Amino acid sequence: MSAFQDARSLPKDTVLTPDLAIIGGGPAGITLALAMAQTGRSILLLESGAQTFEAPTQKLYEGAESGVPYIALDGGRLRFLGGSTNHWGGWCRPLDEIDFERRDALPHSGWPFARGEIEPYFARAQALVEAGPWIYDETGTTVSEKGPALRLGPGGVYTTWFQFSKTQGGTLPTHFGDRYLDDLKRAPHVTPLLNANVTGIRLSRDGTHVDHLDVATLSGNRLTVKPRCTVLAAGAIENARLLLASNDVMQAGVGNGNDLVGRFFADHPIPRNVATLVVFDGKLAPFYSNSQTTAEGAVMRAALSPHPEFLRTRGLAGSLTTVENPVKLDELGTAAVVTTAQALGVDASSARAFSLGCGMELAPDPERRITLGAERDALGVPVSNLHMTISDDDFAHFRQTLAELGRQLLTSKTGMIHLTYQQRHEWMAGMDWGNHHLGTTRMSADAKQGVVDADSKVHGIANLYVSGSSVFPTYGSSNPTLNLVALTLRLADKLKKVLA
Amino acid sequence: MKRRGILIGLAVAVAGAASGAAWQLRLFGKHYPRTPYDDLLAQITDREPAILFGRTAMGSFPAADILAADLRRDGRTLAARAASEPAASHVQEVSGWLVPQSVAQYAALAAQVTPPAAR
Repeated sequence: MSAFQDARSLPKDTVLTPDLAIIGGGPAGITLALAMAQTGRSILLLESGAQTFEAPTQKLYEGAESGVPYIALDGGRLRFLGGSTNHWGGWCRPLDEIDFERRDALPHSGWPFARGEIEPYFARAQALVEAGPWIYDETGTTVSEKGPALRLGPGGVYTTWFQFSKTQGGTLPTHFGDRYLDDLKRAPHVTPLLNANVTGIRLSRDGTHVDHLDVATLSGNRLTVKPRCTVLAAGAIENARLLLASNDVMQAGVGNGNDLVGRFFADHPIPRNVATLVVFDGKLAPFYSNSQTTAEGAVMRAALSPHPEFLRTRGLAGSLTTVENPVKLDELGTAAVVTTAQALGVDASSARAFSLGCGMELAPDPERRITLGAERDALGVPVSNLHMTISDDDFAHFRQTLAELGRQLLTSKTGMIHLTYQQRHEWMAGMDWGNHHLGTTRMSADAKQGVVDADSKVHGIANLYVSGSSVFPTYGSSNPTLNLVALTLRLADKLKKVLA
Repeated sequence: MKRRGILIGLAVAVAGAASGAAWQLRLFGKHYPRTPYDDLLAQITDREPAILFGRTAMGSFPAADILAADLRRDGRTLAARAASEPAASHVQEVSGWLVPQSVAQYAALAAQVTPPAAR
């Protein structure tokens, strides 16, 4: 039985010597701690925050930004136990096989392994995020019970499915800090240490391994952790920031010999009202616009996804388009629908229109990056500086997918679509973000192409690993939580061997 | 009673004949001037919305003579074209609306040849 400890109350200059130090008590850190709990190894889970939100700790996330407008760096994530699962929406979907492929048309794309490598971990990840039975396709009863899938002609877009992390004891969706609090307390050999901010990863003089971690509290206490092995699981922005700021031995920062740490940052842009979908007969199954509970107990919602082959042949990035709200057509829209439906010989007297939203995948961009700012936070760590980009190609890619959807609707005489945006400023005006921070410690078998190797170990550092979506080298358009939990479970299996 | 019945019957017959004539002569419908393209325009079920939609598409197409010649070339109807074009990727974006190419062409033609007063 382990007990939570508070770093503020430990004696000054305490030195802790766990087998494994996990930096960050979000979904990756908690998953890893629980997965390693039965190994008999001592595990220290270092969480910057407390069990609940505290403004001074959250303020440590403040940073600077440049480039396209983006959410404030202390606004899209939460710094207390459970991390950003304390405000996630519970949307779950596994990455597609194509997300792992290297595609010539998408520079810097591809993982060092195929999806099959994390496939064995999806079931446990699904259980941890409490998204019900694994369905994610039309073999579930969702379709037959609630209505037919949207009839589309042959082409590049198909109906796919999200599942949702569900209500558990009044918590919607699963907040890892609350949900697994008791599991962490019960876990043998796991010590969650709250209010413990890692301010430096200190390497051995030869730079080959982590010697110790500097830990500080906002109350002024200082500790040292000397672990056998360290896993950085603090999110894509903090992972990069901490590696870059730990520059006493490696001047460019830990693991940054090839100037890759912090680069390739990504998120999922969520431009609103990207298109209008018109269904000629007005019949659209409810699972397109709202989540529905299936007989199996899964909460599911349909989305429209580009087929892998469509992405390959067109050289496009991924996207997931969702049906949002009913909308009223203007005079021109009505004229377009009437004229088209009559030409197709279809009755559109009951037609209904819906706005469409989406989550877009960004093409990997090394210039979209985290660097260190000149300012320092309350603990003396340089703040993050994010340079955010979206290329015109990113919008053009998604627009091609929407146009393909429109073409398929016409082919099947089911409906038609109106594309809302053409100009960049129009896309940006309706822009929201998923707060899915990705890519800053990207994975590659080649140290010149990635910060971590296929085992999530930092290239060139013997005992430093990274977990979470910061290692995603290509992002896909699926929400990251389920996938990063699966990837973390895979890392746990690797570490069990390393620490055996 | 008999005379009254005859009068009522006569009135109904006259009303019926008048409405039939009005329908035949399209007295209450929209009138469009005759054009050299009426064989094509007749394929549009409801010309008013087509004109409205076509006004936004006009700039994408050549003059009516050339456009009509193109539409007559293979003798296929609007319905036949519209049904087959999306599968062949012959679709066109008009003010953001994605439509079969022929729908945009016919609508543009209707807009081109219908004088503003008739709109």
